[in-house]
Amino acid sequence: MQGFALYPFDPPGDIAALRADLRSWLAVNQPQGDVVARANCWASFDADFSHALGAAGYVGMTLPKRYGGGDRHPLERYVVIEELLAAGAPVGAHWIADRQTGPLILRYGSEEQRQRYLPGIAKGELYACIGLSEPGAGSDLAGVRTTARETAEGWRINGQKIWTTGAHFSHIMLALVRTEEGSERNAGLSQLLIDLDTPGIAILPIIDMAGHHDFNEVFFDDVLVPHGALVGERGQGWKQVTAELGLERSGPERYLSSHALFVALIDAAGPEPAPAIATLIGELAAEMWTLRQLSMSTAAKLAAGEDPMVEASVVKELGNAFEQDMPRRVQAIVDCGWGDEDDLAKLLRALLIASPSFSLRGGTREVIRGIIARGLGLR
Amino acid sequence: MSAAREMLCDTARAVFAEAATAGIAPVEEAGFSLLLVPEEQGGFGGDWGDANAVLQIAGVLAPDLPVAELIAVEALQPAATVSMMAGAMGQALALSIEHVNTRQQFGRPLGKFQAVQQSLAVMACEVRAVEAAAAALAARLDTVGLDATAADLEIAAAKLRANRAVGVVTAIAHQVHGAIGFTEEYDLNRVTIPLMRWRTAHGNDAYWAQRLGRQVAGLGGRGLWEAMTARGA
Ligand SMILES: Cc1cc2nc3c(=O)[nH]c(=O)nc-3n(C[C@H](O)[C@H](O)[C@H](O)COP(=O)(O)OP(=O)(O)OC[C@H]3O[C@@H](n4cnc5c(N)ncnc54)[C@H](O)[C@@H]3O)c2cc1C
Repeated sequence: MQGFALYPFDPPGDIAALRADLRSWLAVNQPQGDVVARANCWASFDADFSHALGAAGYVGMTLPKRYGGGDRHPLERYVVIEELLAAGAPVGAHWIADRQTGPLILRYGSEEQRQRYLPGIAKGELYACIGLSEPGAGSDLAGVRTTARETAEGWRINGQKIWTTGAHFSHIMLALVRTEEGSERNAGLSQLLIDLDTPGIAILPIIDMAGHHDFNEVFFDDVLVPHGALVGERGQGWKQVTAELGLERSGPERYLSSHALFVALIDAAGPEPAPAIATLIGELAAEMWTLRQLSMSTAAKLAAGEDPMVEASVVKELGNAFEQDMPRRVQAIVDCGWGDEDDLAKLLRALLIASPSFSLRGGTREVIRGIIARGLGLR
Repeated sequence: MSAAREMLCDTARAVFAEAATAGIAPVEEAGFSLLLVPEEQGGFGGDWGDANAVLQIAGVLAPDLPVAELIAVEALQPAATVSMMAGAMGQALALSIEHVNTRQQFGRPLGKFQAVQQSLAVMACEVRAVEAAAAALAARLDTVGLDATAADLEIAAAKLRANRAVGVVTAIAHQVHGAIGFTEEYDLNRVTIPLMRWRTAHGNDAYWAQRLGRQVAGLGGRGLWEAMTARGA
């Protein structure tokens, strides 16, 4: 890995105006209720909000107009995403469809798939989930065993996915499945786009340690989907998934999950904080500022068509550490009981419980460090 | 990088390589004190992007020389030090990678052990963070015409981030080197000792954290985000 030069973040158009428009829109449209929903808000489900956001043109922004998208530059989308997250907007319903599935369908999907799915995604109405993990395939994703066999009528799917975020409210799953009999590791895998109302699919909730129902087990029992469900090329699933993960690791969501707590900490401290609190605020602000530069640079590189796999992993590693450390460091210093009901206490409790997942979802810390080590020429 | 900056860097590499043994004289003779002086005043007319590039090279090759003081006015010396630190950290990482790829134990290069790989990945993240901070600070200084007051937030954030990286970077670099890295003869101490020194120079962690923390407290929670976005992209 060569020394790092910041890739210039240079979105077209009037970015200040874009921010201002979105901020006024949020002032009117963002639900004001639950303060905890503002933390880790890209996991907060609110279909009405997603629908309204889509109608305002802030979902599917980079998709072409002919599929209902906004034909906007990826960095304009980046600006919108960071504003939404910094404001704690509940973007969880459409999050995966907008970030990953839409762009992937545009890139690898057939014309039929694009026409069928992209307009709904851009409206903030069609939701997607990612079917990668299985009980025997976590970090070792090449261990995928769910099979799809091509028959005269279409693909027959058997097997199980797990940890599937949002499967219970999603309309489609983009699944990684084994399409070649007897194939091993990352060969013989393909991606299928599965309508989740197809007979033979059972979705069972898994309740997380916060008491939330976000992820699920999904069982496939002789599920038949049409030939046209194949996305991209048969046997190229591994390559396509790796590209998909690039979109997933370096966005502003990798350092803004705990932002609501930072805002609450600063507000609770007031304009003249005690020295220890000022120190903590300063340290967190320095890290956040730095992470924002790294994340914007990586986004700019992605937008320019390059593959910043290592930089993206650096953002995820440092970002996860930051958003995970923040609640612990705040707890260590503010005077705040576990059962207190003020905003700061509620956010702190929620994030202490949610934050262990930050360095698991989207690739574990150890796996991400392995990618960086490869970039350093050590593997 | 522009052609002019590339030429400047080529010159800097030659001059600082010489200065590493000869002292600051070759740097002065080559006119680096004029780097940021406007052309009308007989200077090179460089911007902070140029200064950042040159100072990083100085941090790699001659980290013991007072180059930050030579190039920058006092108010910008913390910024200059961040660039030197980025260069020195990059060099500590380069030496570490080279070492673990060469040194064999248990029948294979150290770099093939996962524990070593993970340590170096952690170190690389810190180095990239400081490089990014130095580059973003440079962009801000160039936007505001090298006005240290207008870049107060960025200077504090970047210096604090660089200071905090020192502990991680020096610890891991020395750990993966084993005893050879602890010798006077081997090159590693030529960057790690200056890094330890720079952590205090122009304000230690506590100083910058307080300064930045009070600034941010004055902005308020939402105000921090608004200020950050108003000050760049
Ligand atoms: C909140 C959340 C949402 C998720 N959403 C989705 C989703 O929508 N779709 C989906 O497909 N998956 C999802 N996942 C699953 C996630 O991708 C996996 O949890 C992750 O890949 C790790 O797999 P695992 O849980 O089986 O852990 P394991 O693979 O069993 O790993 C356990 C620990 O061992 C470490 N480890 C494993 N192998 C190695 C190795 N070779 N070297 C060093 N250390 C190693 C890991 O880093 C980890 O720390 C989600 C997970 C979470 C927590």
